[in-house]
This record gives sequence, structure tokens and C-alpha cells, in this order.
Amino acid sequence: MTKPNDNPTVRVFVLQPTSGVPIYRQLIDQVRRMVLSGQLPPGTEMPSVRDVAEEYTVNPTTISKAYSLLELEGLLQRNRGKPMTVAALRRRHGAVTNRLKELEPQIDSLVLAAHQLDLQASDLIDLIERKMQEDP
Amino acid sequence: MNTVVSAANLSKSIGAKSILRDISMEVTSGHVVGILGKNGAGKTTLLEVLLGFSPPTSGSSSVFGNDSLRLPVHSKQRIGFVPQRDELINEITGAQQLSLIGSLSHRWNGALIERLVASWEIPLNTRIKDLSGGERQKLSTILALGHEPQLLVLDEPASSLDPIARRLFLREILDIAADEARTVLFSTHIVSDLERVANRVVIVREGHIAWAGELDTLKETVVRLHVDARHALPAAFGLDHVIRQQVAGARASIVASHWHPNLKEELEQRLDAQISVEQMGLEDIFVELHS
Repeated sequence: MTKPNDNPTVRVFVLQPTSGVPIYRQLIDQVRRMVLSGQLPPGTEMPSVRDVAEEYTVNPTTISKAYSLLELEGLLQRNRGKPMTVAALRRRHGAVTNRLKELEPQIDSLVLAAHQLDLQASDLIDLIERKMQEDP
Repeated sequence: MNTVVSAANLSKSIGAKSILRDISMEVTSGHVVGILGKNGAGKTTLLEVLLGFSPPTSGSSSVFGNDSLRLPVHSKQRIGFVPQRDELINEITGAQQLSLIGSLSHRWNGALIERLVASWEIPLNTRIKDLSGGERQKLSTILALGHEPQLLVLDEPASSLDPIARRLFLREILDIAADEARTVLFSTHIVSDLERVANRVVIVREGHIAWAGELDTLKETVVRLHVDARHALPAAFGLDHVIRQQVAGARASIVASHWHPNLKEELEQRLDAQISVEQMGLEDIFVELHS
């Protein structure tokens, strides 16, 4: 059944079913990044599994798997009879090295493509700096 | 989790032609299972044998714990089936067909039917022979949902639906999937539908199961490796479960199953190479499994 999802957090994710990355993995990566960067501050109510599944028309099992793994990781907290929330972090922001680690898969594929295109590290760094200034 | 459908060493031949070969599988409640295969891979026959419409040549299958060929009425009442070719009556209207099936069913959720007829925009007062292919398919699907089956089986659903109707249809399947006591089993060659709604997948190739398991696991364990070595690579890598490999000098592209991220470092050291792991969408995986 379609009904409007009243928790706006349900719309912040980008889930692509046709990607080679399983949907639960996409959701974990995004929640993790948003929590580490403070975009989803501690205490934020997460949309229910069913609302996420409905919003993106995807199987609820993969969403509930993501939530369970995020709970195990200590990023989300399950609350009796209430929506899950973003857990209070030991440190609000992860250390830079931790946050960088989140980007390693993307960096790996970027580096590989750069090698294939015969680009230097300095070319890449220039471009990344420019892009990061463009986007908030 | 209860076993809803189970098959043990099912084979089926018609004359000299082998349609299904040694199929064993299990479907547990609460799952949405997609059977994926090329045209002619045996998907329809598999569904028909599982439901007992057609006897296997050898092996056996069961639904709700009862032999498929001897399903008691109370088991049949818990099944909804949407065949690939609908069994609607051409000379009557949609409304008449609905009330006919409704009157024959032991239970019938009129409110659900009303909601679906409205949201799927099915003209009920038109004679069925004048409906479009998509409208027929929608009506035929609704007929299988009215008695709220515990097991819904669909053979190539949504194949004639436009993208909007298809999305509405998928939402309904997900609504059923949210109920852990209900189970959906469907065959398709439309990979993108399966990727959205199924959590388990059975890939059928030439009548036997090429892969079965969780969709997430399939995507995590079947990968394409791009190998960039410092020296020319040997023809054989000593990597198990290679589906396809192309080696050209110091570069190679390999599609492998049973992959695990821990394998990367060991392989990089052994080959003195950099390896990038490409995760593949279901369509690519499906194509590679047929190569």
C-alpha cells in the first residue's frame, strides 16, 4: 500500500537495485558516511524498514539486514516499540583516517581508472580539489 | 521459517527431450524467490511441476508439506497462481469474472480487490476480449490475490505491463513480502524486477539450477577481477571457480564465483599484480553464467 512517509530521512538515501553492490551494502555505506560526517546526528529517528522498502520499491529483507548490521556496529540503536535512532557516538566525528577508510573502495577504482588513462596523481588532486570547492 | 515448497531431484522429459534435470530446491516462508532463466530454460515447466499441474518423470516435490501431485483442498486454497497465459473468460466482463471467482473461493477480500481495481485502473465493465494485454494481465493477477494466498506463484508476471503499472504491481508484491507468513515465487527473464523485489534467486539454465541462494550473496561472490601485473601473466592462475578469463600479457580480466574479499591480497602477492574487484549487477552475472 502506498502512503506518504512522514519521516523525511527516508528520502536521503540513493539505492540502486541494478548496481553490483547489494542494496543492504549501499544503505550501510550511506548511513555510515552520514553518521560519521554528522549529517545524521545522534538521536535522529530512522525510517522503518517497511517505509524504506516502500519508498525505493525494494525487498524489506535487505533493508532489515542493513539495519541489523548497523546496530551491531553500534551506529544505530534499537528502541522498544519506537523507531531506531542514530546511536550516541563515542566521538561525534570519526578520526580522519577512519572516515578516509570509508572511501577506499571508490579511491581504488579511481586510481585504477587513472592508471588506465595514464594520469598523474597531481592531475587527480587538482580535479578533486576543484570538485570539492564546487559542491557544499 | 517453514518450508513452503520443496523439490528433490526433480527431472522431467517430454519424449526424448529433457526439460528439467535433477532440480532440488527449497522455498521457505517470508521470502520472495525469483526464478531467472532464458526463454525456454524450463521455468514454466518447473513451476507447473512444483504445483502438481504436471507430473515429474522422476523425483518429487511438495507444497506445505504435501506431495504436489496429491495436494489436499485446504493446501490448494492457500495458493494463488498467475499463469503466463491467462485463463480469463473472453465473453464476460471483468466485473463478472471477479464475482465468479469470488463466489468460488472460500474467502475473498472484496476491499482489497476494490482498491487494486482502482489503483491499477482496470476497466471492469468491458468485455474481457476487448481488454489490452496489460489489462488482462492485471486482472488475472488480481484474481490470484483476492483470497489472500499464503503462497503466491506467478509465471512471468508484469511482462505486458508498462513501467508505471509494473511499479504498482511490484509494490503489491512487497506488501505481501512484508508479511513473514506469506511467500512469493515468480519466474521472470526481466532482471531489473527481480533485483528489486526478490531476496532469493534461482538461476535456471537448460533445465537445471545454475545458482541458487540469496541475491545479496550472489552479487558479493560473483565478481569481475581486473588484474594489472608487473610481468606477463601465466595462463593458469590457480584461482578456483573461474567462470571466464581473458589474459593478455600482463593484464587479465577474470569472472569468478565464490569470491571473498580476503582472497584479494593473497592473489595480488602471488601474481605480483594490482587487482581491482568489480561488483556486477544481476544482468551481467546472468550473462556471464551463460557464457
